[in-house]
Amino acid sequence: MHVPPWLPYAVITLVSWGVVGLLQKLSTNYISAESSLIWLVVGFLLLEPLLYPGGALFHYSGWNLAWALLSGVLNALGAWALFAALKNGGKASIVAPLTALYPLVVIILVPFILHETITKLQVVGVVCALIAVILLSA
Amino acid sequence: MILNDTLKARWFWYSMACVLCWGGWAMLSKLGSREIPPETMQFLFTVGTIPVCVVLLVARRFRMERSPKGISYGVLNGVLSGVGGLALFAAYHTNSNTSLVTSATALYPMVTVALAVLILRERLRPVQAVGLVFAALAIVIFSM
Repeated sequence: MHVPPWLPYAVITLVSWGVVGLLQKLSTNYISAESSLIWLVVGFLLLEPLLYPGGALFHYSGWNLAWALLSGVLNALGAWALFAALKNGGKASIVAPLTALYPLVVIILVPFILHETITKLQVVGVVCALIAVILLSA
Repeated sequence: MILNDTLKARWFWYSMACVLCWGGWAMLSKLGSREIPPETMQFLFTVGTIPVCVVLLVARRFRMERSPKGISYGVLNGVLSGVGGLALFAAYHTNSNTSLVTSATALYPMVTVALAVLILRERLRPVQAVGLVFAALAIVIFSM
């Protein structure tokens, strides 16, 4: 079996974010979801000294640096919008599966922005993944 | 009728805002990762989250619950999320298919559900069991 090079990384993401999902349930027993977002960013900041790129930062294109920064802004805004949905009468059993559908935005945009193609079998895989996240977050 | 009520509900539009923000986050993560290595991506990503965090703090008038347990879980979540983010940027950096990486990494609720059953002794609901089957199918297809 040929394992695609991205898959081992994706597994690390799955496991660490999966644990975060569990700990999130535990943390909101003690503090609000918004406070937990603030402490989450404090956790991000603890990693910063290890990640600091130094002068290498200035070798990358301005656009790509902007995309990286903006990805952080959008991620945090998305989390805030999720908490707002739950505070404004959204049931977790509906809001969670709905917001888990964010890969759809990427799947719709990719052909226009990156000109990538996927095989028919991979389309089946993507559909399975989307059904799975809806059912698992319900 | 139900659809009409939903479209008028604030929670629905907040949910849509969330989907669009997270979709944008994943798309931009890929665009940046074509050139920038994962460590630097995660570094910049974190810098991007700070202004939102500050606005959130101001909106809450700096009110924070003083629960050591809650705070510890929150900070630990940040470190773990950061590690997961780093791996996501690494996956995007491998010049891989963006739709596959994004859908595969979005499957993390499968791990949460599995851990909730194993550690918190929650019962696996039938709908979640079916979800796990679809998740497994997706991963098998992606690894072919």
